[in-house]
Amino acid sequence: MHHFVIAFARWVQSTRLGVGILESTWAFPYVQLTHFTGLSLFVGTNLALDLRLMGIGKRSQTAAQLADSLFAWNWVGFAIGITGGFMLFSTAALTYVANPSFDIKLSMLIPAGLVLHIINQQKARTWGQTPETPGIAKLAGFIELLLWLSVVTAAVLIPYFAAEP
Amino acid sequence: MRFSQWLQNNWFIVHVNGSVPTASSLEIIHYVGFFLLVGATAIMDLRVMGVAAKRQSATQLAQQVFPWMWTGLVLALISGFLMYASDATEYLHNSVFHQKIYLCILGVIFAVIVRRNVGKWDQQGTIPMVGKFTAFVSLALWIATILWGVNVPALTGVG
Repeated sequence: MHHFVIAFARWVQSTRLGVGILESTWAFPYVQLTHFTGLSLFVGTNLALDLRLMGIGKRSQTAAQLADSLFAWNWVGFAIGITGGFMLFSTAALTYVANPSFDIKLSMLIPAGLVLHIINQQKARTWGQTPETPGIAKLAGFIELLLWLSVVTAAVLIPYFAAEP
Repeated sequence: MRFSQWLQNNWFIVHVNGSVPTASSLEIIHYVGFFLLVGATAIMDLRVMGVAAKRQSATQLAQQVFPWMWTGLVLALISGFLMYASDATEYLHNSVFHQKIYLCILGVIFAVIVRRNVGKWDQQGTIPMVGKFTAFVSLALWIATILWGVNVPALTGVG
């Protein structure tokens, strides 16, 4: 498995995408822009829903209604974010796969966040029927919020775990 | 210039940016802040533009998400200021950074304009073109702010 990951990373880094972004004088900020804009839509709407499930925020609508309104653009944001993320990855794939912070972010924290997010989105329909959400909803919202915070933390810490060349 | 130097040498500024846990926390808060800010504003703007959450009125959705714009903005501003302060003399002459701040100010102004007018626009049945255009500008300003934000280290090497 480890061999496959290294081989895949080596291949991705050598593609025209990875090399092109790195060699261009202007592309890299736009790749970051894509990643951060997508995440603003994705993580931003996740946080809004999680906080609402926790009972924090305006109660003019139910959590179910909020989840419903945010659904489409939440996943559009995810698609944009992951596109930008893959492009970033492609510029230095080998160093990323050797980085423990990146490793934890991608292999543990993001999958956990996604699974809980999908559960919360589905359950918001029942949990969020009333203005006051049940205790389990508050807990689920809080844990999801912690997971996304930890993803951002792992991302910010990536430079600190870069292996010496 | 002297204020910038004072900021940069201030004990708290030096220490909060000097240790990895606190410096990383500032970055994390800044990211989370602007995700919340841009995400909330984007949802409101996209709804006003007629391409999101059509099952709810624009006014209702704006009421729901707009407070998160302020929350995100405060988080981003505080963390941003503390990070800026550690390199205040550098940022003083950094035009890309200045432009980012102007874009941010314009972004807040346009978000408030959308929020203030959405009720009036909603009453007209379909949101009028001027409303959709204003919302589009609001969204574009925040995307531009993010771009200028990443351009500061990319083009000028600061931060």
